[in-house]
Amino acid sequence: MKPAFSVIFFTVMSGAGLGLMVWLLVATMMSAHIRMPNVTFINGVIIAAAFIVVGLCSSTLHLANRKNVIYSLTQFRTSWLSREGVFALALFPIAGLYLWLRSAAAPTVVVHGLALVLIALAIIILFCTGMIYGCLKTIPRWNSWLTPTKYVLFGLMSGALLFVAILSTRSAEIGPLGRPWVAIVLLAAGLLVYLGYLLKHPRKQHTINDALGLKQGQVRLLDVGHTHGTFLTNEFGFQLAREKARLLRWLSIALGFVLPLVLLFFSNTPPFAPVVACLIGLFVERWLFFAEAEHVVRLYHGQQHV
Amino acid sequence: MKLGLAIDLDTCVGCHACAVACKEWNGKSLMGGAPDYDPYGSAPSGTWYNRIRQYELDGDPSFTPQGCGSTHQPLSKTINVPMSCMHCEEAHCVTVCPTGASYKRAEDGIVLVDPDRCMGCNYCSWACPYGARELDADQGVMKKCTLCVDRIYDQQLPESERQPACVLACPTHARHFGDYDDPASKVSQLAAARGRQDMLGDLGYKPVNAYLSPRKPAQVEAVALRQGLSDKAKAFVNRLISL
Ligand code: SF4
Ligand code: SF4
Repeated sequence: MKPAFSVIFFTVMSGAGLGLMVWLLVATMMSAHIRMPNVTFINGVIIAAAFIVVGLCSSTLHLANRKNVIYSLTQFRTSWLSREGVFALALFPIAGLYLWLRSAAAPTVVVHGLALVLIALAIIILFCTGMIYGCLKTIPRWNSWLTPTKYVLFGLMSGALLFVAILSTRSAEIGPLGRPWVAIVLLAAGLLVYLGYLLKHPRKQHTINDALGLKQGQVRLLDVGHTHGTFLTNEFGFQLAREKARLLRWLSIALGFVLPLVLLFFSNTPPFAPVVACLIGLFVERWLFFAEAEHVVRLYHGQQHV
Repeated sequence: MKLGLAIDLDTCVGCHACAVACKEWNGKSLMGGAPDYDPYGSAPSGTWYNRIRQYELDGDPSFTPQGCGSTHQPLSKTINVPMSCMHCEEAHCVTVCPTGASYKRAEDGIVLVDPDRCMGCNYCSWACPYGARELDADQGVMKKCTLCVDRIYDQQLPESERQPACVLACPTHARHFGDYDDPASKVSQLAAARGRQDMLGDLGYKPVNAYLSPRKPAQVEAVALRQGLSDKAKAFVNRLISL
């Protein structure tokens, strides 16, 4: 698949923003353990909102006909893309209501209840984003439960790193153990899921014979019927050199997971280093997610296996 | 009704007449619009609702002139495959569409895109296994085969012309149009008689269009030659000459 920058940017940024929002809300509910000045909370909210909004705006950049974007909220019943949009838009009024109730010192039960709703909503949005890709039977690489898992987990993970970074800007207590364990555990889990995704082969392999229903013998393409690129070759024909893919895979593992893990675990580095490394790693990961996925229509263009 | 095409993989010669006729009709039609990009330049491209590709199917490696052991055809064969929207029964291109622009008509099963709702997200094209959807970059909306919905019901046209443009244009009559819900229709009969190719059937889209399977070559009895005296003499002379 063609790695479209706007979509890569959208998924990484709003993923981190939603993750940050989740951990900010969790922190407010665990005030006995995590002492966080109100300024830090407000700064966190602003950063989370900026990440989510910038991401959502960028997601509309690849639309060829933006004036009809409003209709994209209508097919909630069948389309994961529509569901994602509806939930993402629902987030803003509910978050506004939450902030208002919080500043108006509403009863703790109500504020915490709403916080739980927001946390659930953030995870649902991440899940929907994952399912947009995971539900496509035409792209065997994506068509697995690992795809939505990855989206939810990586969002929470990068959000946790962002949260740790923001928390460290002012004196705050991270926890009884003195280390950001949530971020560390999530990074470890993220690494495992990512390795699982890279190692697991798609459940089903399709061949050019399956594509044409010609099972009797070897089939090969003689002529593709067009002299230059088409919409299909542009959208689905992306070729990634094996060597480059290997390099980028290791880069994404190292920057996205291993380096932040080491930094958080062993040292008192500047708090923003782990999150910056992780976000760059996730950009590479997301680029590969698209670049390495193969659509079955490639079979009709002469590829032997997908 | 379940309208669709039957495409004969034996008789299609891969001349692209159907694709050109499609472009001719839909390039300007109400439902359509199929622009070309840089048509006379160095990188010609365009939006097509129908594309023809040619494949080679290998012959039986154990083939000898005395006959082949398997049901596999003896020699390699060129197979031309025109592809357009199959108007699938389980059209996931429709269910994934977030705007509701893509829809499948209840009355005849034709899958269409409403250009006034489509936001050009390309998502439906990702969901189509058969490469049947292409974005019209001029209008920014998704385009696909309409089964010439603006021809087949047009009372102004003589009845024989109420067929998709590709079907009318095909010089070898490899393309047929009809109702698969009617077992007596020509397409149903053809599909039943010839069998249809199972194209990525395991994805579960249930294409309506049928690709009629290439026929097996007739098995010819090989008869051993009876050699008379004159044949032996001729063979001897031939051997002498080639000494
Ligand atoms: S061939 Fe593709 S575009 Fe046509 S109905 Fe099937 S999935 Fe949809
Ligand atoms: S490109 Fe148009 S028809 Fe296709 S999924 Fe997007 S909105 Fe629907």
